[in-house]
Amino acid sequence: MEKGKVIILGSGPNRIGQGIEFDYACVHCVWALREEGYKAIMVNCNPETVSTDYDTSDKLFFEPIVLEHVLNIIEAEEPIGVVVQFGGQTPLKLAVPLQNYGVNILGTSPESIDIAEDRERFRELVIKLRLKQPESGIARSKEEAVIIAERIGYPILVRPSYVLGGRAMRLVHDTGELLEYVEEAVYVSEDKPLLIDRFIEDAIELDVDAVADGEDVLVGAIMEHIEEVGVHSGDSATCIPPYTLKDEIMENIKEQTRKLAIALGVKGLMNVQFAVKNDEIYIIEVNPRASRTVPFVSKSIGYPLAKIASKIIVGRKLKEIVPKIFELKEKHPSSDFLPKDFNRFSIKEVVFPWNRFPEVDPLLGPEMKSTGEVMGVDEDFGLAFWKAQAGAGSILPESGNIFISVADKDKPFIVEPAKNLQKLGFKIYATKGTYKFLKEHGIQAELVSKLSEERPNIVDRIRNGEIHIIINTPSGRRERSDAYFIRRAAVEHKIPYFTTIRGAKAAVEAIKSFKEKGISVKALQDS
Amino acid sequence: MPKRTDIQRILLIGSGPIVIGQAAEFDYSGTQGAKALKEEGYEVVLVNSNPATIMTDPEIADKTYIEPLITPVIEKIIEKERPDALLPTLGGQTALNLAVDLYEKGILDKYNVKMIGASYEAIKKAEDRELFKEAMERIGLLMPKSAVVRSMAEAFEVIDWIGFPVIIRPSFTLGGTGGSIAYNQDEFHTKVKAGLEASPIHEVLLEESVIGWKEFEMEVMRDKNDNCVIVCSIENLDPMGIHTGDSITVAPAMTLTDREYQILRNYSIAVLREIGIETGGSNVQFAQNPEDGTFYVIEMNPRVSRSSALASKATGFPIAKIAAKLAVGYTLDELSNDITKETPASFEPTIDYIVTKIPRFDFAKFPETDSTLTTMMKSVGEVMAIGRTFKESIQKAVRSLELGRYGLYIGLEKYDEETIREKIIKPNADRLWYIAEGFRRGWSVDEIHSLSHIDRWFLNEIKEIVDFEQKLSDKTLGTISDEELEIAKQMGFSDKELARLLKTTEDKIRERRIKSSFKVVDTCAAEFEAYTPYYYSSYESLSGRLSEDGSITYFRDSEN
Repeated sequence: MEKGKVIILGSGPNRIGQGIEFDYACVHCVWALREEGYKAIMVNCNPETVSTDYDTSDKLFFEPIVLEHVLNIIEAEEPIGVVVQFGGQTPLKLAVPLQNYGVNILGTSPESIDIAEDRERFRELVIKLRLKQPESGIARSKEEAVIIAERIGYPILVRPSYVLGGRAMRLVHDTGELLEYVEEAVYVSEDKPLLIDRFIEDAIELDVDAVADGEDVLVGAIMEHIEEVGVHSGDSATCIPPYTLKDEIMENIKEQTRKLAIALGVKGLMNVQFAVKNDEIYIIEVNPRASRTVPFVSKSIGYPLAKIASKIIVGRKLKEIVPKIFELKEKHPSSDFLPKDFNRFSIKEVVFPWNRFPEVDPLLGPEMKSTGEVMGVDEDFGLAFWKAQAGAGSILPESGNIFISVADKDKPFIVEPAKNLQKLGFKIYATKGTYKFLKEHGIQAELVSKLSEERPNIVDRIRNGEIHIIINTPSGRRERSDAYFIRRAAVEHKIPYFTTIRGAKAAVEAIKSFKEKGISVKALQDS
Repeated sequence: MPKRTDIQRILLIGSGPIVIGQAAEFDYSGTQGAKALKEEGYEVVLVNSNPATIMTDPEIADKTYIEPLITPVIEKIIEKERPDALLPTLGGQTALNLAVDLYEKGILDKYNVKMIGASYEAIKKAEDRELFKEAMERIGLLMPKSAVVRSMAEAFEVIDWIGFPVIIRPSFTLGGTGGSIAYNQDEFHTKVKAGLEASPIHEVLLEESVIGWKEFEMEVMRDKNDNCVIVCSIENLDPMGIHTGDSITVAPAMTLTDREYQILRNYSIAVLREIGIETGGSNVQFAQNPEDGTFYVIEMNPRVSRSSALASKATGFPIAKIAAKLAVGYTLDELSNDITKETPASFEPTIDYIVTKIPRFDFAKFPETDSTLTTMMKSVGEVMAIGRTFKESIQKAVRSLELGRYGLYIGLEKYDEETIREKIIKPNADRLWYIAEGFRRGWSVDEIHSLSHIDRWFLNEIKEIVDFEQKLSDKTLGTISDEELEIAKQMGFSDKELARLLKTTEDKIRERRIKSSFKVVDTCAAEFEAYTPYYYSSYESLSGRLSEDGSITYFRDSEN
């Protein structure tokens, strides 16, 4: 039965922030549409992909994904519609121009995408749904920026409105830093305003991927970030299911996700980012399209979300596609696809190109810098984290020397992991401040000198192979301090290092589990 | 000869997370390989730590392990699954390194796992600098003169026969940091000293400089009966000194004479034979001295590579799939070409179009970094475009990049001559556009050649685009003729760029211009019927068909 042709627009060249995940989603879309009896036509210009294998689709056009070429193909092929939600920003940018040419955009409407992306319109929606967002504002001058910042209260996240993907985004702690930013880093004007958001310090960040058909919404998974808010979601290690969150918070997040999906009329995939602090849930961002976490979620829960979403796009309903899910009596609080007793952790970790760019400070921040990802799976959280670290090239040591140097605000939280490390047989090295603090809390450490003090200093010790793991949290402002040289030395000598307390805690658990249980392997088909 | 029946279960290792230098091309090759082996009735056990890959989808292999790619974990998988063979050539350097480690630790022996696709000896010979050099000497091929030194005294001993300029590469530094070039004795002294200090093992490699030479790659496949095919030749527009991954490359090679091409063909087959690649694909890289035409062998990859993914897409010849089938005992003449169904895989692809690859960089994410292009790869992705001419191909590739660029003009007129000159001399992500700006200022092909060492043929093509651009800018949509507009489209000018030059809008150009036609990528230059629907657009001129009544009907030749 001939159902017509559908054009799927690919994701173009790989870049940081838009990688292989989107090619994965496009390939699944092609497969799903072929399964549904449509002729799937793929358009892409990236030779490194599976989507441009001539075996993948019914027709492949190796062409630039720009309006001119896409329209040429549409004229020649006369498809019933075009799919733009799987290839990241590349095809999404073309949604409105294509619609203006009378092209049928399948799935979630460009109008809904605009509501989600336009700050004003989205804010109205959030208020209407009685949900919560961090306070924010738009400044059109330097003076306005200062007024808004003071109203919201520091710290704040600032970024120019005209760049995408977290570029030039900065965490700002006081007026001095804000002025420095608007005077040196970016240009603020009437038509190039500055976006300001309250930064919820020490909050837990969550990602949610869901599929919706206009009637039903199924949450694929809630993912808990290992790193705190402030690290770009694409650069954070992520765990399915959440490992520190209460059940009722997860249920509430699922409910909020459903409300958003219905209100936006999502047909296909949707990604929502939340922050949770003191049991308060804040919506950070909504993207009614395939996100980079779709393959990770799909593999963690065993359901291909992109494929399910593609079937919705051509009119199928979730109740028909995954009827079994609707029969599931007791669901896991973090996912509509998993049974309540699900007990496997999947942890995603990312890799960075620090070794290619020797001048760069290898520090996590609001701008995405990772190029790829790995996943570690185990029933034990610690082992899943161990595997994720190993996959990313960082083998956690079983014993040896650990160097700890943390910012003042983090000091109270380092006591417990430090004690555990000592129990595991690690010898702790610390510079003055941390050394003193640990000693006051009954933890014996070895004092090691800073770069400005007598040698051998900490960097000498790293370079001599005397340090086997590093916990070093940054103290606010970025500068070429000791911490920078410590991080660079760690990268060069491939020593595992953690720049957040939550990351350090997970590492301690990983080492403990590894020492107690060792690793075992399991095939996807066997679980 | 039929496929091997002494093996049933094959372990395939993926390439792990996407990093610079090892990207999604190995998902493409691994997925193809797994599918090909399953098609032949083998059980495929696959391991890769990267969940964002198609190959780790549960339907692709029989057993899929998303586990870290480290030797102890792979050993656990081998212990559990007991594969008969390991195919390590589809997962990039990661898979190859693991295979070597598993072999050297005796793990493959212990569990009786055979390595297929490439033997341990062949991998060693291709990857060990000294062994490779000896092998090339045996078959009489030249390589850049080089020596490893551990002291200043040793360095001064070898510099006499290496000569200047010489490249100094400290061993085991991160990403090749501390590398430099010396043009004279004084520089040599300071730079070697610095290099020795930078190297943790106090060792540097001194190598004859071939910077500025022309660079070529050959994608070769060989089967166990010693049949060889050249799948594709690739020429780097950017001369030696820039990593291939960071270079603009073109397929097929544009500036080789037929005689030279045949020489490279013979050389590359000789390299595979000598290294001992018995079944599979390899990539062999050559440098050519533009003065006297001498060829040097630079390196070879005894595995599927980024370039082979490009060659597969450029020709329609599925290298990874064929490599997997050769590894289990088939020969090239026994495998059929999916696209024509008529020709065997031993039939070398012929292409009647030009393919251009341009890398995509993300330096904006790392503002502190030096964005000069060197022998260390820095690009994060790439695009490929197909056109009937080089001009069309490169202009299509430019707009594929998604940098908001639709042609060779990006507003560089504000820079002074010195800046433009420097940006043409020093390789960088925007060099192509600076070269165009140079031509816009009336610089000659020879002048830009002497600054960039890019072959004059490519420069001339770029100049012709710029010249036409200037011709167009004298016109408006009202004054331009249909013929001129058609020529512009054939040269690859985008509607957006034409709108800028003719001072109108993209929509208006679209209304006015001719329609594009679509051509098939068929591996055989239309000699046989193609069954695979793989297309690219072009603005080929009209073809005529003689009717029975003697009249000619004109049509635009479209194959979709």
